[in-house]
Amino acid sequence: MIEVVNLHKSFGDLKVLKGVNTKIKKQEVVCVIGASGSGKSTFLRCLNLLEEPDEGEIYIDGISLLEHKKDINRLRQKVGMVFQQFNLFPHMTVMENITLAPIKLKGMTKSQAEEKAMELLHKVGLPDKNDQYPNHLSGGQKQRVAIARALAMDPEIMLFDEPTSALDPEMVGEVLNVMKQLANEGMTMVVVTHEMGFAREVGNRIMFMDEGIIFDEGPHEQRFINPQKERTREFLDKVL
Amino acid sequence: MNSIIKVLSDAIYYNLIREQRYMLFVQGLGISLQLTFYSAIIGTILGLFLALAKLSKIKIFERLATIYVDVIRGTPVVVQLVIIYYAILGSSSLPKIAVASIAFGLNSGAYVCELIRAGIMAVDKGQMEAARSLGFSYSQAMAYIIIPQAIKNILPALVNEFIVLLKETAIAGYIALDDLTRAGNIIRGRTFDAYTPFILVAAIYLYITTILTWLLGKLERRLHESD
Ligand SMILES: Nc1ncnc2c1ncn2[C@@H]1O[C@H](COP(=O)(O)OP(=O)(O)O)[C@@H](O)[C@H]1O
Ligand SMILES: [Mg+2]
Repeated sequence: MIEVVNLHKSFGDLKVLKGVNTKIKKQEVVCVIGASGSGKSTFLRCLNLLEEPDEGEIYIDGISLLEHKKDINRLRQKVGMVFQQFNLFPHMTVMENITLAPIKLKGMTKSQAEEKAMELLHKVGLPDKNDQYPNHLSGGQKQRVAIARALAMDPEIMLFDEPTSALDPEMVGEVLNVMKQLANEGMTMVVVTHEMGFAREVGNRIMFMDEGIIFDEGPHEQRFINPQKERTREFLDKVL
Repeated sequence: MNSIIKVLSDAIYYNLIREQRYMLFVQGLGISLQLTFYSAIIGTILGLFLALAKLSKIKIFERLATIYVDVIRGTPVVVQLVIIYYAILGSSSLPKIAVASIAFGLNSGAYVCELIRAGIMAVDKGQMEAARSLGFSYSQAMAYIIIPQAIKNILPALVNEFIVLLKETAIAGYIALDDLTRAGNIIRGRTFDAYTPFILVAAIYLYITTILTWLLGKLERRLHESD
């Protein structure tokens, strides 16, 4: 479903990605771990062209993203993204946050979109927050709304960039539970996270990023990362 | 004591009452307010386009807008006014107030451009990313997500710019437009009293700017209610 070939990305002189190669299958949940600054976010952001790669190819469903830059707005609708800082639209209610894109981009009527939004709010456990403004929600609630907002576009893939890193510890669980449920329903997911418990339980595969590449990865069938290299072991010792 | 009262009542009589001189102030204030109003409209519209040009990815728009803003901000407004009046528009049959409105509007546009740009840039950049990741184009993201939030930052600064503009129009007398300040000048020429007319003029400006500042405060409180 996603294929990444020899992906390179630099910021000025700083080479962040130096040849990332991977394939992500439909319904697979891939967790990406690695030290801060190792390029995890950059990798994820390349997958929906929020960053433009310098070199390499990204195929989604066999379609090359870089050859279809003109259609990027349409292609991005297939790829939902959830950010560490939530990035909810503060001037809109929860309901408006969720319905804006389906109404403007998918041509849904307001009532169709709202019906769908209510379903999604039930799914993320916030059926009574539709009229609230984001600033009145807790961090965990904001992130669950952000997930609902992304799901409202019916994406085929969901990207999560450290979705629980900005949360108070007691709110991490509620967000991870929603993500777990999503994984169980068969969503294809790429999750940058330091929650090793989640990565082991839900992830089909764990990738360790270092030195601008996927330095090490746990095999698909085996849910535990089995560190083959010294660097991976050192990193895991630190986060566990 | 009596002499103070005499001085004051003479001042009022000669500067305001005689020959209905207060009418000069009233008319002058009218001109100043109209001039400010029209310049503000021209400046706001021009500033919006300049800001969009400056933020545009099309290099030539960005360059032209930058040059325009730099030239306007780097030269005195009174010089711009005189140049526009004599060199560019003086030969046409436009009324003076229109010429002055254009001159002040062209000037104000450069400042409005910068405050609109600052207001847009102050919106968290995660907002644009979230919008783009949902599939919105750059201009849709601007229209639905960024500008509505930027307006909160921009409106108070814009009202402040109008207050500055009102005071700047005091140089309209350079092109013989009878604004409030020039009314003071005319009366001084008739009464040979250097202080009273301009103290009155200052008091009128202060009165108007105080009202505008008070409205600005109310506006700011309103805008922050939804936070
Ligand atoms: N837009 C950018 N401009 C310049 N440098 C950047 C930019 N984005 C990321 N970087 C740099 O690239 C490196 C990798 O960043 P990132 O992908 O965010 O790492 P991670 O998510 O693994 O912490 C960091 O050194 C970061 O400072
Ligand atoms: Mg990151």
